[in-house]
Amino acid sequence: MKIGDLETKVVKTWCPGCQNYGLLLAIKKALVNLVNEKKIKKENIVAVTGIGCHAKIYDYLNINGFYSLHGRVLPPALGIKIANPDLTVIGFGGDGDTFAEGISHFVHSCRFNADLTMIVHDNQIFALTTGQATPTTEQSFFGKSTPLGVQEKPLNPVALALIMGAGFVARGLASEVDHLSNLFEKAIQHKGFAFVDVLEPCLAYHNTTDFLGKYVYKLKENGYPFKKALEKALEWDYNLRENSKIPIGLFYQEKRPILEDKRTIKKPFWSFKRKTDWQKIIAGFK
Amino acid sequence: MEKLILVGGQAGQGADRTSLLIAKTFVSLGYYVFNYRDYASLIKGGHNFNVIKISDKPIFSHENSYDVIIALDQETIKQHGQNLKKGGFVLGDKSLKVKNLISVDIDSILNKLQFSKIFGNNILLGSLFKVLDLQLPALFKVFKEEFGEKAPLLEKAAKEGYDFVKKKTKVKSSQKSKENYFFTGSEAISRGAVMAGLDVYLAYPMTPATPVLHLLAAKQKDEKFSVFQLENEISVICAALGSSYAGAMTMVGTSGGGFALMAEAMSMVGISEIPLVVYLSQRTAPATGVPTYTTQGDLKFAVNIGHGEFPRVVIAPGDPREAILRTVEAFYLSYKYQVLSILLSDKHLSESGYTFDKFERPKVKPLRFIVKNPSADYKRYLLTKNGVSPRAVPGQGPFVRATSYEHDEDGYTIEDSEWTVKMNDKRFRKVKYLQEEIKKLNPVSIYGQGENLIIGWGSTKGAIMDALNSLSGFRFMQVSYINPFPAEEVKKEIEKSRKVVLVENNVTGLLGQIITEKTGCFLEKKLLKYDARPFTSQEVIKGVKRLAR
Repeated sequence: MKIGDLETKVVKTWCPGCQNYGLLLAIKKALVNLVNEKKIKKENIVAVTGIGCHAKIYDYLNINGFYSLHGRVLPPALGIKIANPDLTVIGFGGDGDTFAEGISHFVHSCRFNADLTMIVHDNQIFALTTGQATPTTEQSFFGKSTPLGVQEKPLNPVALALIMGAGFVARGLASEVDHLSNLFEKAIQHKGFAFVDVLEPCLAYHNTTDFLGKYVYKLKENGYPFKKALEKALEWDYNLRENSKIPIGLFYQEKRPILEDKRTIKKPFWSFKRKTDWQKIIAGFK
Repeated sequence: MEKLILVGGQAGQGADRTSLLIAKTFVSLGYYVFNYRDYASLIKGGHNFNVIKISDKPIFSHENSYDVIIALDQETIKQHGQNLKKGGFVLGDKSLKVKNLISVDIDSILNKLQFSKIFGNNILLGSLFKVLDLQLPALFKVFKEEFGEKAPLLEKAAKEGYDFVKKKTKVKSSQKSKENYFFTGSEAISRGAVMAGLDVYLAYPMTPATPVLHLLAAKQKDEKFSVFQLENEISVICAALGSSYAGAMTMVGTSGGGFALMAEAMSMVGISEIPLVVYLSQRTAPATGVPTYTTQGDLKFAVNIGHGEFPRVVIAPGDPREAILRTVEAFYLSYKYQVLSILLSDKHLSESGYTFDKFERPKVKPLRFIVKNPSADYKRYLLTKNGVSPRAVPGQGPFVRATSYEHDEDGYTIEDSEWTVKMNDKRFRKVKYLQEEIKKLNPVSIYGQGENLIIGWGSTKGAIMDALNSLSGFRFMQVSYINPFPAEEVKKEIEKSRKVVLVENNVTGLLGQIITEKTGCFLEKKLLKYDARPFTSQEVIKGVKRLAR
């Protein structure tokens, strides 16, 4: 498989220079590698998206796709795994999508630990709705819906995922395509819930290009023990302060039992032939 | 023969359990039993009761006057004593203060047996059997079925209770040699789902839909399907969409509040054409309302739920026997036509126990309706004559797309006017075919004969059926398919009737409103009950007679 095989007929409508192009290239590279190395099957990959700029990726990837509602990436992803654990499910969400509208699903997905990947296009802004604050927007951000400034502390999704028990927690930078692609490959291969928070500037409404470029640094390859991982996660609180230290890379990885283990059969349900017995059902009422 | 027994006590004292044992024993003796369950929203204390109606003829409802009151506390007598029939009696502990008490010295029996307090109800069960001049073995058989190894202890307690009291009346033995079937609406819907080939059931606990969650969860290993409880109803229905998209026969269950949370995703069922069956068991609303009590208040909510316009099926079975068939039909129509199917029940149907002596098989055969070998140029949303596109699932080879956006045949996002119209027309082309299909499934049932007509839907069927014998000149039209609405049949029946009375368990007569909208017929006579309790047949008889005067 080549990168070009993942192209679709759809004309891309992200802004020129949008960092989502970097993320798109990174996921394509990761998928091509994994398919070519026979680690996953192309026909088994399913992309699940929310609603927002990030979600246009549904139209730009030539694979199975589920274009869900705003905030509802993780529930369908979970449902797909319940129905057919053979599928490779990759969720794409925005920061508003995942941490505002869909926060309950994010928290519980870390606990459920279904074998799926969640990639958040975290530009710290609602972009498609023209620039409102999200839970990861920095304090003192002034926007059209917050003309008095954002007062509340940003949500730290990396720390939250760790605390909630996610077995794979990573952060990437959309412009660091190869580094990100490598994180995606690891996340997809992780047996369990894998979360990658991808930092990206929004050129139109939240341009953090210089800030991120200045303060991002890479973690060592294989993650850290839990306490150290949490310490690393807390190094940056998503505020845009001078001299921030923003680690990217793999924070933590641990294998835990997955939700699919509780399924009652091994096969995908759709290929399971059922025999229902009317007499048996009626006899059950005696 | 007809006997009405009320069992009452505080929550936690076992009124429901005791009633179930009485009901099952009488069913095993060939009787028809109806078991009404009245409980408050608490775990211990308060006042709960069951009414068991026992008859040698088929019955489908209870009454509010009793031959026997089994009082587990004084409050039961305070609340129901005035409804004791002439010649009736109260059975209970000797400490109770009431006339007509058949007194049992529960404490001294327990002392003698060195048994704990939980066995008190079994002593009373034994006493009940003696008083009604019935033999104990039938009760012991039910003990064995329900309690297995512990049964001998219960037998001991019941035997003591039996010996403690004297015979009072004689219950004529049933003529039937064959055992009947006794089950609730919840059991019917669970078994119906299994019959339909259920793969995945998802839910968040909410009375009165929870029993289906419990029943299916307990069956999942034997029947090889999966049940998961998720973090909220939004997650439940969105996960169900994923599950059905990936090929599993999927159902969710909830009550009004949870159903409301599911509204946005119902709309996604509409545009994505992912099949899904939703079980809605109504309880008294608005909002938290009277949460453990019954209503028919969500009919129009079910018919209209979800923003935008899209076809859907809404089915309202009237009793558990019908609920099995309707559940199978809900799956069949949803998966064949790729639409939302809503199966409408309520607390009364879901939690009351009914008796039947025979069954009909489902008329439809539920299949997965998944294309076998989709070709390389497969299009998920292919425009077709009947609006139904072949449904493939991810993993078969060609890519399968599902989307909440308007889309082209491949499932890619579009925003142009031409395809927006094409896709709306495609989805609504299904309606004609659904209507044809539903015509074959008895969307409307007529019971009895007469020039006058009672109209009802859902769980009021039981009380109306039992009232019909006492309402000469009246026949009963039960509407089971609410959407697509069988307008022709309903209109025909109304137009050929002299007097028409609408009976509904809600404030404003919701079916009546739908009838007016769909047929132009305006129904003036409405018997509406909205005290959070179901109709009894006496209430139907009195009400219909008053309105028809």
